[in-house]
Amino acid sequence: MSRLGGAQQRLREQAEHHLRVAAMEDLRRAHPQATTAPHKPPGGYFWRLVFVPLYRRMPWEAKVKAMHALRMTAESNGWTAPARTPGEPWHPPRSYTKEDS
Amino acid sequence: MTERLIVIGGGGAGISAATTAKRVNPDLKVSLYTEFEDIAYSPCGIPFVYGGEIPRFEDLFLSTVERYVSDGLDMRMETVVTDLDLDRGTITARNQHEGFDKLIVATGFVWEKPDVPGANLEGLHYVKNIRKAMEFDKVLETVKTVAVVGATPLGVEMAGNLGQRGLGVHFIDEGPWVLHEVLDPDVAEPVHESLTKRGVTLHLGTAVEAFLGDDHVRAVATSQGEIACDVVIVCLHKVPNTALAEAAGLAAGTTGGLIVDDHMRTTADGVWAAGDVIEVPHGLTMIPIRGLTGSHAYSQGRTAGANAAGDDRTYDPVWVPWGLVAGDYTIGGFSLGETLAGAMGVPYVLAKGVGVSRARYFPGATRTHVKLLAEPGTLKLIGGQVHGGEGVKERCDFLAFAAKRGATLEDFAWMENIYSPPIGALFEPIAIAAQNGLAELRKQAEATAPSPSAVPA
Repeated sequence: MSRLGGAQQRLREQAEHHLRVAAMEDLRRAHPQATTAPHKPPGGYFWRLVFVPLYRRMPWEAKVKAMHALRMTAESNGWTAPARTPGEPWHPPRSYTKEDS
Repeated sequence: MTERLIVIGGGGAGISAATTAKRVNPDLKVSLYTEFEDIAYSPCGIPFVYGGEIPRFEDLFLSTVERYVSDGLDMRMETVVTDLDLDRGTITARNQHEGFDKLIVATGFVWEKPDVPGANLEGLHYVKNIRKAMEFDKVLETVKTVAVVGATPLGVEMAGNLGQRGLGVHFIDEGPWVLHEVLDPDVAEPVHESLTKRGVTLHLGTAVEAFLGDDHVRAVATSQGEIACDVVIVCLHKVPNTALAEAAGLAAGTTGGLIVDDHMRTTADGVWAAGDVIEVPHGLTMIPIRGLTGSHAYSQGRTAGANAAGDDRTYDPVWVPWGLVAGDYTIGGFSLGETLAGAMGVPYVLAKGVGVSRARYFPGATRTHVKLLAEPGTLKLIGGQVHGGEGVKERCDFLAFAAKRGATLEDFAWMENIYSPPIGALFEPIAIAAQNGLAELRKQAEATAPSPSAVPA
């Protein structure tokens, strides 16, 4: 993996980890007997004190726009988001293969 | 001249890619390379052999090398591909160069190793290869206490089955509940109870700091103290095995998996990839994810194989139905739970309900808990979790498919369902949850506005 690619991967992992820990802290308040405090390694101040609160203040629609603008979604790699509109007519596949028959 | 397709990897993705390619285009010469001695077995069944529910490892084999050879595949067993040259169209294996016209990379995953002192001690076991699993089964006959590190799906299955086997099991994870990366705490609660009943000691919120021992592990040093053990089973994350592909110039994405498009094409012409080595988008967010199930790998392999053989098939973004038996309790879900939705900041409304799996009076009926997450406003389904006894898997499969097609809480509230006492109750638990959710929304709308018309009646 390129140095840039590796850095992007580490950034994503860090962001996801700290957002998940914050979400778990919220949820576990309703289930104190079934849960325990997650382990928090030292450090991570930027993520906990800056990134998580800022991310949480941003509306979901703005997050979606930002993710698209930053090409973080798969549309930039040849994927199409599903329409999610029920009732569309069925389209036969372009070809039937032996496997399908 | 006959075209040659080379498939690297003999797991679910590789074998399905090779067999599909041969079926779609019988004239294609298809060669499959795998570093292992065996093929077409179910590694997912290994924990259940350890637990004794499946009597023999041999029962996990689904097919044979000979069968694939008789189907026309060129099987290169125990053959490690050491180099890949996309410009020349060659692979190197056993110091021999072999040419290809088309290539499918299905090199799967390697297990994440704990980045702590002592991680190379003897006695640390990773569950993947069936022959090593057979050897480890003999080791398990000689030990009393096992530490399972990582409350992942595999970790939960291993802990539950080793407890069932009668071993003392210490289950260690940093998270506040088991499976915390996918599961919500309300669903984790009965899982904890079930594992504890099987003799598993939970060490949650606990970080592994080192493995202790001279040559062989004797204890795990954790943030909560030392835990003595005879062996350790490491069940951390799957890491895409991209070394060969990336060295050849194929691009990886932000998950570390290879980037593919909806035809499983990689960033190089004539090269496809499938399975745990790739990343694919989540259907709701379109954000790439990885580390999915064997059925995803198999399906991606079929898509890659068909397209490499000249067909034109697309693979859809995923809604990830999942499920497992944790101890004696069945859990499942799809897409997002409250934990993931909360972490990502996806807004949702909740619909929860409890029903029974068959007529209440019928022997074997179990309670089925359903939690649905829906998009505010449209009430389109975006995620959910189901737990209880029977029927969890089928409900999660159905819900994932319905969410993909844009079904709403309203659709589920008035869905038809089978009523037949031995197999289904009068009231479907999914419908109960959806009706509860709509009733709650109606109540909230009435409390905040004079007109409840914003909420479907």
